[in-house]
Amino acid sequence: MTVSATLPAVQLDEPAPAPRVRRRAGRGFSIGRTLGWIVLVVALVGTLFPFYWMIKSALTPAADIVADAGRLWPTNPTIVNFARVLGLLSAEETRAAGGSGASINFALYLWNSIVYSALIGFFQTLFCAMGGYAFARLRFWGREGLFGILIAALMVPGIFTLLPNFVLVRDLDLLNTVWGMVAPSLLMTPFALFFLRQFFLNIPKDVEEAAQIDGAGKIRIFWRVVLPMAQGPLITIGLITVVWAWKDYLWPLLIGRDESVRTVTVALGVYLQQSPNTQPDWTGLMAASTLSVVPVALLLIFLGRRIVESLNFTGIK
Amino acid sequence: MKRNTALRLAGIATAGIVLATTAGCSAGGGDDGGAVTLNYWLWDDAQLPAYQQCADDFTKANPDITVKISQYGWGEYWTNLATQIAAGSAPDVWVDQPSYYPQFVADKQIEDLQPYIDEDPDAVDFDAYVPGIADIYQIDGARYGLPKDWDTIGLVINKQAATDAGIDEATLQNLTWNPDDGGTFEEVIAKLTVDKAGKHGDEPGFDPNNVAVYGFLPEWADGSQGQNLWGNLAQSNGFTYSDKNPFGTSFNYDDPKLVETIEWIASLADKGYAPRFDQQSTLSRLEVLQGGSAAMTSIGSFNQLMFKDTADQWIWAALPAGPEGRKSAINGLSDAMYAGGKHKDEAWEWIKYLASPECQSVVGATGVIFPANAEASDASVAARAELGLDASVFLSYAQETDGTFLIPINYHGTEMAQIVQDAIQSVALGTNDAQTALSDANAKVNALFE
Amino acid sequence: MTQLELQRPSRRLLPAARTAGARMPRPRGDGRVALFFIAPVLVGFAIFYLYPTVRGLWWSFTDYSLLAEPEFVGLDNYAQVLGDAEFWNAMWVTLCYVVLNVGSQTVIALLLAALMHRLTRSVVLRTTLLLPWLVPNVTVGLVWLWLLDTNLGFVNRTIDAMGLDKIGFFTNPAFAIPTISGINTWAFVGYTALLFYAGMLQIPQDTYEAASIDGAGELRTFFRITLPLLRPILALVLVVSLIGSFQIFDTVAVTTKGGPVNASRVIYYYIYQQAFTYFHMGYAATMAILLVLILGVLTFIQLRLLRASESQLA
Repeated sequence: MTVSATLPAVQLDEPAPAPRVRRRAGRGFSIGRTLGWIVLVVALVGTLFPFYWMIKSALTPAADIVADAGRLWPTNPTIVNFARVLGLLSAEETRAAGGSGASINFALYLWNSIVYSALIGFFQTLFCAMGGYAFARLRFWGREGLFGILIAALMVPGIFTLLPNFVLVRDLDLLNTVWGMVAPSLLMTPFALFFLRQFFLNIPKDVEEAAQIDGAGKIRIFWRVVLPMAQGPLITIGLITVVWAWKDYLWPLLIGRDESVRTVTVALGVYLQQSPNTQPDWTGLMAASTLSVVPVALLLIFLGRRIVESLNFTGIK
Repeated sequence: MKRNTALRLAGIATAGIVLATTAGCSAGGGDDGGAVTLNYWLWDDAQLPAYQQCADDFTKANPDITVKISQYGWGEYWTNLATQIAAGSAPDVWVDQPSYYPQFVADKQIEDLQPYIDEDPDAVDFDAYVPGIADIYQIDGARYGLPKDWDTIGLVINKQAATDAGIDEATLQNLTWNPDDGGTFEEVIAKLTVDKAGKHGDEPGFDPNNVAVYGFLPEWADGSQGQNLWGNLAQSNGFTYSDKNPFGTSFNYDDPKLVETIEWIASLADKGYAPRFDQQSTLSRLEVLQGGSAAMTSIGSFNQLMFKDTADQWIWAALPAGPEGRKSAINGLSDAMYAGGKHKDEAWEWIKYLASPECQSVVGATGVIFPANAEASDASVAARAELGLDASVFLSYAQETDGTFLIPINYHGTEMAQIVQDAIQSVALGTNDAQTALSDANAKVNALFE
Repeated sequence: MTQLELQRPSRRLLPAARTAGARMPRPRGDGRVALFFIAPVLVGFAIFYLYPTVRGLWWSFTDYSLLAEPEFVGLDNYAQVLGDAEFWNAMWVTLCYVVLNVGSQTVIALLLAALMHRLTRSVVLRTTLLLPWLVPNVTVGLVWLWLLDTNLGFVNRTIDAMGLDKIGFFTNPAFAIPTISGINTWAFVGYTALLFYAGMLQIPQDTYEAASIDGAGELRTFFRITLPLLRPILALVLVVSLIGSFQIFDTVAVTTKGGPVNASRVIYYYIYQQAFTYFHMGYAATMAILLVLILGVLTFIQLRLLRASESQLA
């Protein structure tokens, strides 16, 4: 237990001052606070150290990987690993720098990931917003029942629909195309639909009703009135969808094997498999991993505050 | 503001759709105006440069066809191939192995090359190949691949370590082995093992828990063939994989002769002569060897070139002779054509070229593998000799009667490999005893063929 | 819903067709308009959720190798799955993973959230803790595969320098699942902590002030006030984490591929192997259905809790 501040002595002939709220521990030193800070600092270091190590290894030349394994900074830092994974070097140079000579082009894979995430993030949010609004505000026959059925899809884990969806995309000859990759997630996800509907259920109706009185049609109300009001949560859900799509591995692995549509996650897996038979190409792998972190790190730097402050249960994915 | 937002949204949406369509179009398959790009898969990155040379030469001779070579590590090669076959987008040509190709035949995913050969009788000169290699890929008059290369297994020993341990070369060239006491093989391994205090494995006071240099590195990720070690030792012990090879349907993995072989290999770790299975790293055995933490391991002829920079530091020896003699697995790889490929004629041209003396001599001259073409094979041996690497041990098995045996060729190759490998690795881990593990595995394997 | 910002549009932008004394139009069914709104969602559901579910169900009664037509085999797959030691191993391994992962993740996240709530409200701290969650699981797996490597990894080098035995984090069967669950805890704890933090923010400040006046220490406040009031959020996060945890695949695919032997062959990975390596699609579908049953129950609980918490926090 920590020391509490003492109240000033009350003088009997004066009216008693309003009781000061006792701040237990004040702002000064205490064991509890110190321990707390230590925990936070440990958490911070623990979060950042692996990334530091990743970058440090990416800057290590392949020949030094054993010698530098325990050092905190490479003896001969170099950016050749980044050059090789971005596809900027020839096959001989790549092999000389420790790779297996296979052609890799992470610049392309980064672009593919961005396209994949952006498409899904944008369209899924849009369509689920439309759907959510309809289920929240519009009146039509079978509304509740239909919604219940759509939400029942929540109970089906990814892998169960993944197998038949794979065969569907294959049979439609959409393998190794962007359309094939984004198809299942482009239109809806039960989660996004559910939460957007929740949101729309909870916004006050008066503005819409006023617009209705003014004679605006439902569609116009949605575009002009409701959507702008919902900017905040829409962007939040959009961001979370984008992050989820950025991390997606199994589906792009099955559908997008071809280099032209390969995303960064799949490319990392493939790169690991293409390691020289003697040992994994650690420096190249770490360089490629760094590349996969940079875009989301940028996202965090520029939109971090928004993401962090609007993370609450309406945004779970 | 809202109007602008709406316009902006529409703009983004359109851009997105345009992006998607154009990106999607480019994943077509490289077929613009007559030019064809073939996909060729192999697993050994060391062979990439040689085959890239072949690909470049081939494109010079056939300007309309480019070959894109993809390399995937052995551990992932067959699963990747399976996934791509399921997706209907397997490579046009791939490097094939005897244990895996029958499954492709059963699934009708591999192209029979005999019709192509019949139409083009001068295409392939089967007499130019090392005898026996081409027959591996024939089933009932159909031919499922043209020969690529062949290999056997030997031993590589650190010369300095052997000298320090007082082992002479004559002993190394004539090792004997048996599952009971390990023969001279185990003696040598023990001598080569050095603990951190400097004591060798055969000296009193040797500490098996603090080893600095291991006497031997066994290969445990060896599928259901054990091509790199246990298959050879087991065969020299009298073990046979199945009722017949090729295309056996009843397997003998529960045979005591295999059980005692596996037990012997696993015992090496208990004695401190080999590293514990659960402490492996991502470094391959050969890297560990070159790093000096081990003195000997088994090696395929396809890996000998790895040692070219330090050639004078190594001794090459044949596998030890077991109770039934000295035996090594002989493997022959081939190039296979995908039955679902879209450019089969061009793929045939590429396969023909791969099997031709031109390409095989290019590969042979580098010394990286022994091509199936006999002349190219000799050239490879010569190239290695020039680098100071003695390849004669790999050829020595042919001298002895029954010195070589074919690795098992049968259906369900991928699944079998997982089952048997799991069982053997559980023995290495110590979570199961060899007889139980192998009997269970054998039952599962035989069940695949019902 | 205090976190959500509502921006009210200026009245001027609405069409001004107001006539004095206009009555509110009688509400009519919005059928046609609604169709426009829900069309994409319905189409998406029908093609990518409903159709695959039916198809998958059908496959579970067939022998389907992806390369030939499915052949009906009745309940054979189900019988085989229930008798498959590998399947039960996969379920057991997954269960171990889930318990370790969700357990450690929840505890650490609660601790971090409490500290962020009471000690410092720094946005930089919260943003930084979120980074691992944004990074693909594949990257996380690779970085830790490198860090924990037996020979070259930083962790083992440190352990070795201290004179202890090196640990085969991914190659020792006893360590494989704990390591993978530890890695994923590292990746998700920041995100979970932020969720708890948001929940804690909704607890009225005066509760804490009152406790403070009464002389309650931090620990007591946490256990007597914060935790009980956080219960609905806690339950929800727990269930969502459980569901997500069951579906682990990426990390295993990159680090151990189910090894050593089958010590980390989680159910998703086993299903993937059966479907795409051995071409037993019908068998894989059967296992997926059994997984649906388990996860379905969990999701149902989650939805109930979500409805309950909405009403409680409003």
